[in-house]
Amino acid sequence: MAIVNLQNVTYRYPLTDESVLKNINLQVDEGEFLAVIGPNGSGKSTLCYTLAGFVPHFFKGEISGSVEVAGLESSASTLDEWVMNVGLAFQNPFNQISGAKFTVFEEIAFGLENIGVPREEMKPRVEDAMKLTGITDLADRSPYSLSGGQQQRVALTSILVMQPKVLVLDEPTSQLDPIGTREVFGVIRTLAEKGMTVILAEHKVEWIANFADRVIALHEGQIILDGLPGEVLTSDILLEKGFGISRYTSVARKARAIGLWKNSNLPVTLDEAVDGFKR
Amino acid sequence: MQERLSFYKKRESAVHRLNPLSKLTLALGIVFVSFLSPYYWTPHLLILFAVIPLSLLGKVLREYINAMLRLILPTAGFLFIMQALFQPLEGVELFRFGFLHPTQESVLFAFANATRIVVMVSSFTIFLLTTHPNELMTDLTRRGLPGQFAYVIISTLQIIPQMQAKAQTIIAAQRSRGLDTESTFFKRAGSLIPLVGPLVFGSLVEVEERAIAIEARGFTSTRVKTSLNSIPDTNKDKLIRWSLIVIIIVTLASRIWLS
Amino acid sequence: MKIEIRDLEFSYPAGIQALRGITLTIGSGEQVAIVGQNGAGKTTLVRHFNGLLQPTSGEIQIGGWDTRKYSVAKLASRIGYVFQNPDEQLFSRDVKTEVAFGPKNLGYPNEQVEILVHEALEMTELSDKTEMNPYDLSPTWRKMVAIASIISMDTPIVIFDEPTTGQDAANIARIANVIKVLRERGKTLITITHDIDFCAENFERVIAMSQGKILLDGKANEVLGQEDRLATTYVDPPQLTRLATRLELNDTIIREDMFLTELHKKLTRTL
Repeated sequence: MAIVNLQNVTYRYPLTDESVLKNINLQVDEGEFLAVIGPNGSGKSTLCYTLAGFVPHFFKGEISGSVEVAGLESSASTLDEWVMNVGLAFQNPFNQISGAKFTVFEEIAFGLENIGVPREEMKPRVEDAMKLTGITDLADRSPYSLSGGQQQRVALTSILVMQPKVLVLDEPTSQLDPIGTREVFGVIRTLAEKGMTVILAEHKVEWIANFADRVIALHEGQIILDGLPGEVLTSDILLEKGFGISRYTSVARKARAIGLWKNSNLPVTLDEAVDGFKR
Repeated sequence: MQERLSFYKKRESAVHRLNPLSKLTLALGIVFVSFLSPYYWTPHLLILFAVIPLSLLGKVLREYINAMLRLILPTAGFLFIMQALFQPLEGVELFRFGFLHPTQESVLFAFANATRIVVMVSSFTIFLLTTHPNELMTDLTRRGLPGQFAYVIISTLQIIPQMQAKAQTIIAAQRSRGLDTESTFFKRAGSLIPLVGPLVFGSLVEVEERAIAIEARGFTSTRVKTSLNSIPDTNKDKLIRWSLIVIIIVTLASRIWLS
Repeated sequence: MKIEIRDLEFSYPAGIQALRGITLTIGSGEQVAIVGQNGAGKTTLVRHFNGLLQPTSGEIQIGGWDTRKYSVAKLASRIGYVFQNPDEQLFSRDVKTEVAFGPKNLGYPNEQVEILVHEALEMTELSDKTEMNPYDLSPTWRKMVAIASIISMDTPIVIFDEPTTGQDAANIARIANVIKVLRERGKTLITITHDIDFCAENFERVIAMSQGKILLDGKANEVLGQEDRLATTYVDPPQLTRLATRLELNDTIIREDMFLTELHKKLTRTL
């Protein structure tokens, strides 16, 4: 069943002339893990904000078409209702720390306080969420004393504790070092495996190929490709439009031109490349 | 880096256990009484019989003495000298040196003022040493202080050290571009825009992201907020607060009648 | 211009020892990438090059200048330093003024400043954006403005701190191109990066750091092939290296052309 349904969505930020999203049609099923790729400025972040209700409720501007996520209809609901159902985390971990709390435990409880969760329910919910993301040992630390990867996991936990039905992540690893990236991807993978509906905007193609169920490619505000990771991520169109592609795809394409790659499909992951070249 | 702007010392003590509002009332009460009392010896008594016992009871005597020696006494001493020398009152002249001619009255007046300052700063130092800012804000929010207001106070406490670090990076970045921040005054004044500009612009970008982040966690939700930590407010607390209010009124009344 | 570092040690005022004895020479015109986990001391090391940090012990010579004897402003004429976050650097009303700031500080004559700014803007593909306010540009283009504003200083040595973080493929290609042009002009280039594929494709020499020391130092393919030792500082070998290893190709491969040549050799051998 579709938990996300976007029909002909076009959106323009206030005081600008050009639409950032153009006629977007997108359905995402419950439990699906959808990755969104696209160059900077292609509309990835705006799409994330739209799914999370911040477009248009926070940014204002002009939207047309219909946006339905987790049973809410954009034009008939408030941001308040959206944040209870759809979680959003984004690039910069530092800016997602509320600044209102002195320990990680309190930081994660911040959202629950805001939406009026009774105190006796709060503690177990925070503890469960921390267990899920593997940050239980950080509970008493100051959020500001953590590494980027730890901060990003705190940000994710702070959203998860609100028990959203859909999780929207806008390049959560783009500012992190390799260890931080690994930690955060580990959490996302666990969540997806547990059946959470995840929509992830991301540049790291190899990782997407390994774990996402489906990929859409955004270019100048339009969805130009939509399909299985193996198909979308090896498409020649990506090369033409200046998308980032995996080195495995790139080298296999060149090998194919000189007859050293025999498969009909190009690889995205290391394993696919090894298999293909061994033939 | 951690909690640099918070003076709070985590201890187990009777003072720590008081409700934050009671502590705030206590701190304000001491200040009011020392300033309003018509007797010049009141501040001295307050130091001896309120401030020092409170610091002992709150197990923060060492920190308090430290603050006293480093901050409070030097400041008060400076104020005393300035007032005594530069604000001559009519009366018995003590000596004359150039345009300075302090009088016995001005010295006494300055001394009284300086002790009041000592009481005021001491009282708040002990308050800050024994009260976690978060508890204070949670308690005040529960009593009707707007959540946004509490947020601004607390986040400022935390964000200022981060801003300082950012300012350091900006200075380093501009010096690397040949900006001379070290030599003459004029060069330094001219280097202000390259330093302040990025701090302001960068903050604008950050403020929007932060707004989205806290909004995503229901910050402006219309529901009634709850809080993670329960902050006790006992009958003892209420008794302390009412007694303090009575003491303040009595002091005020005595001031009006006796003057 | 040559960089010589002898027995460099550095401790932060709080007492944390960030560099534990580094001796290193970077020759004129070399392209060096420094890799390693956060906290390994990469940024601390390069901040010594232009005097932002002063050694606790040991010394650094930049083309014969002892960094302890020259101000940062003076060393800026020899070393350009592109910071990671452009937002911590940009302040001017328009791109052109921003890019002219550095060369003006260095006291180049006006005509020279004009030429340098023009070249830097061309190299970073900003020529059609000269009159725009940097803050109206996307973060991707702001990064290019930050790079242009350092290149325009025409220093013999340029340092890039995490140039590809948060950038998309198109902009990474643009940055790689800037590095290529600077290399052709004989500049000494030093880049701190986590992007190991970018490192493999654009740098001749790689230094891996770990816990304030140099772990590995050598030709890119020699260093990046040492999977086990790199793992101790949380660096994965480049994608092509991993693929080549799995296919048991000769030599340590870091670039596509090398990969295809070796693959071809292997296949013709087995036939």
